[in-house]
Amino acid sequence: MSAHNRGTDLDLSWISKIQVNHPAVLRRAEQIQARRTVKKEWQAAWLLKAVTFIDLTTLSGDDTSSNIQRLCYKAKYPIREDLLKALNMHDKGITTAAVCVYPARVCDAVRALKAAGCNIPVASVATGFPAGQTHLKTRLEEIRLAVEDGATEIDVVINRSLVLTGQWEALYDEIRQFRKACGEAHLKTILATGELGSLTNVYKASMIAMMAGSDFIKTSTGKETVNATFPVAIVMLRAIRDFFWKTGNKIGFKPAGGIRSAKDSLAWLSLVKEELGDEWLKPELFRIGASTLLSDIERQIYHHVTGRYAAYHDLPMS
Amino acid sequence: MRTGVIGLILPPTFSFLEMMWRICPALAMGCTVVALVPPTSPTPLLLAQLAGELGSFPGILNVISGPASLGPILASQPAIQKVAFCGALEEGRVLRRSLAGKCVELGLALGMESLLLLTDTADVDSAVEGVVDAAWSDRGPGGLRLLIQESVWDEFMRRLQERMGRLRSGQGLDGAVDMGTRGAAACDLAQRFVHEAQSQGAQVFQAGDVPPKSPFYPPTLVSNLPPASPCAQAEVPWPVVVASPFRTAKEALAVANGTPRGGSASVWSERLGQALELGYGLQMGTVWINAHNLRDPSVPTGGCKESGCSWHGGPDGLYEYLRPSRTPIQVSCLSKNMNYDTFGLAVPSTLPAGPEIGPSPAPPYGLFVGGRFQAPGARSSRPIQDSSGNLHGYVAEGGAKDIRGAVEAAHQAAPGWAGQSPGARAGLLWALAAALERRKSTLASRLERQGVELKAAEAEVELSARRLRAWGARAQAQGHTLQVSGLRGPVLRLREPLGVLAVVCPDEWPLLAFVSLLAPALACGNTVVMVPSAACPLLALEVCQDMATLFPAGLANVVTGDRDHLTRCLALHQDVQALWYFGSAQ
Repeated sequence: MSAHNRGTDLDLSWISKIQVNHPAVLRRAEQIQARRTVKKEWQAAWLLKAVTFIDLTTLSGDDTSSNIQRLCYKAKYPIREDLLKALNMHDKGITTAAVCVYPARVCDAVRALKAAGCNIPVASVATGFPAGQTHLKTRLEEIRLAVEDGATEIDVVINRSLVLTGQWEALYDEIRQFRKACGEAHLKTILATGELGSLTNVYKASMIAMMAGSDFIKTSTGKETVNATFPVAIVMLRAIRDFFWKTGNKIGFKPAGGIRSAKDSLAWLSLVKEELGDEWLKPELFRIGASTLLSDIERQIYHHVTGRYAAYHDLPMS
Repeated sequence: MRTGVIGLILPPTFSFLEMMWRICPALAMGCTVVALVPPTSPTPLLLAQLAGELGSFPGILNVISGPASLGPILASQPAIQKVAFCGALEEGRVLRRSLAGKCVELGLALGMESLLLLTDTADVDSAVEGVVDAAWSDRGPGGLRLLIQESVWDEFMRRLQERMGRLRSGQGLDGAVDMGTRGAAACDLAQRFVHEAQSQGAQVFQAGDVPPKSPFYPPTLVSNLPPASPCAQAEVPWPVVVASPFRTAKEALAVANGTPRGGSASVWSERLGQALELGYGLQMGTVWINAHNLRDPSVPTGGCKESGCSWHGGPDGLYEYLRPSRTPIQVSCLSKNMNYDTFGLAVPSTLPAGPEIGPSPAPPYGLFVGGRFQAPGARSSRPIQDSSGNLHGYVAEGGAKDIRGAVEAAHQAAPGWAGQSPGARAGLLWALAAALERRKSTLASRLERQGVELKAAEAEVELSARRLRAWGARAQAQGHTLQVSGLRGPVLRLREPLGVLAVVCPDEWPLLAFVSLLAPALACGNTVVMVPSAACPLLALEVCQDMATLFPAGLANVVTGDRDHLTRCLALHQDVQALWYFGSAQ
């Protein structure tokens, strides 16, 4: 992975005067979805690019080594070979960006990926995922154990209570500690925006997370009632842009949860392209946390190649 | 009751939406439409063809494709009852002049510029989106003036320029396009404006992914344009945005209201109090808060000052196409030899009356301006005769200077009066009614001398008092409404007083007409300059004596003199907001 974000000292003046106008952000969100549609072979190209951004995820209580193995294999071969050949993309090394699992399953994932001969990173969720309501000591220990097991990316959840009570210094300190516990691993901070209450809080939490040294900010765990929506994303992307203008550091963005259709994923790509620019459309700076999205993308590509709609059973399961 | 045939004249850079905004309410209200469109776009013709295929009513929508010079010809057709014009200011003026005297209503929607006011408590990113919506999406009709608070100038400029870089321009049917084109004429206009602005010292920034071929013009941001330069006074064409800074909210209002155009504006601020204050203070027809160009068919939008006076959308828009069912058929009062330049210029001199017989007349009345009687500028008076030819009294001869003084006094009193609560206004009108009743005998005797029978005279006085009371009661019902429409957020429809009204009273019914015209104007919060009946202004002046004690100074001003001359002065005065004229055909 590229160089980490070293973070900056806490400067509360960056968040003190911020205002976010909710209806205006909603209007912008509607506009993005309506105004940038992509069709035909460009759509196929965008979809393949979207595949390379996916963090293929499985976070259920009933994960065992067998379904992890299936997942890892799918991560290595996300689209069926013959479809890729038809598009002449079979030799470009198209894989998903990462595989995301619970800490207990990191060993299985690392083993399965090694067996498949693939070097994509394993991302582990940590710090009391998804609610984060455990003691700080155990949360830090989780991170260390996951890193020991071989995870090279860690997705942490912030303590929402600190945001809702406005304790920005405490939030900054916690995330700093997570950063230290990660060591060389890549830190993604999940803001759980569905539980933060207002768009202004989302902006502030994003800035604090970036100042404290996150490499990525992520919208949600996927387990809240409201996960990744466009208005929230617009605010976070604006925060990323402001941080970049202030410090020159590029922080990545990951929406997760609720992205199921290929059309949605294209809208997400347009959003990042519009708000941040083409440099952010790389796996180092943009990820999509999804599980069923991959099947929908595969079906769209099948349709593009053959002109027919596939049933779910025509394509390999993940 | 519906108006009959509507003539619709559209400018060369109209958009389909604007056309539909005007045609649909007219058709919905049962009027038929004849539209004149510039020949460059065939869309209205297509619409007319579809309308023609409706079978049972083949003639409801007719479209003529032709140059703008056909406009006055269309307007002067005898069967047209209302002309709805939207377009440039000069053409609107020409049209108004050509329609004078005919009984054709004219609805004007002139100028297409709007204003965006950004304070430092706003969400700057969202305001940038607002600018994009206002200026460079296909929903905004014209250019945009930006007023930005100095403390957020740099931040805003940076974000705006970055955002401009992402705009895509192209053919409308390409799904991923932000803005299209409005034709080569609009492109040239914008080009000329930008060149002039540059030569006057402004900085121009253009960006966006735009095809280089002719009718596409890139989004343009002009800043550092000196406020006194001619470009800053002219209307901003599409797709240009002119940005200027301001320091305080007060300055913002002064700059924003300092143009003759009063179309639409938006205020961006996250502080509710500040946003509403700025919104109320802007003299614009439509004000949006934290949004721009939100349109909904049930919400009325329109302009004020030089942006025209017609409304579309909502109930007001529908009323445009209706007239009250009890209006009498208006007869066209066109006078053949009308010379605008010489009308009312000279004041016919009045010879002194013959040898005075009878009781010696009272000393000449002055003009009632600014709350007291003043001598006229010209220092001359004219005699007033009563019905038997004897001298009734002398009144002052008012002139242009007096009109100017009266209008100024009215303007000084206007903000205070408009700010009075409706109850206070009602109270004053009732007090005047009571004063009239006290003076009944004097007024009746004066009326008698003018040849009115005693009984009729008393009835006239009573009726005047009653009308004053009625309008006083009406003053309470303001007519503001709060509307909840499909847009997010409520819509507040405010009925604001116009300002200074000038009224020229008819010759008949000297007392009743004077009072009946005075009362409604005052009840709604305006101040007035009145020219009373030429035959007998003495009654009006009697009422003034009461007004001197009851009303605040400058509320009602009365100027006597030659009616034609005074009408000319009032009509040419550019700070009078409305003129009611009852008099000769000329």
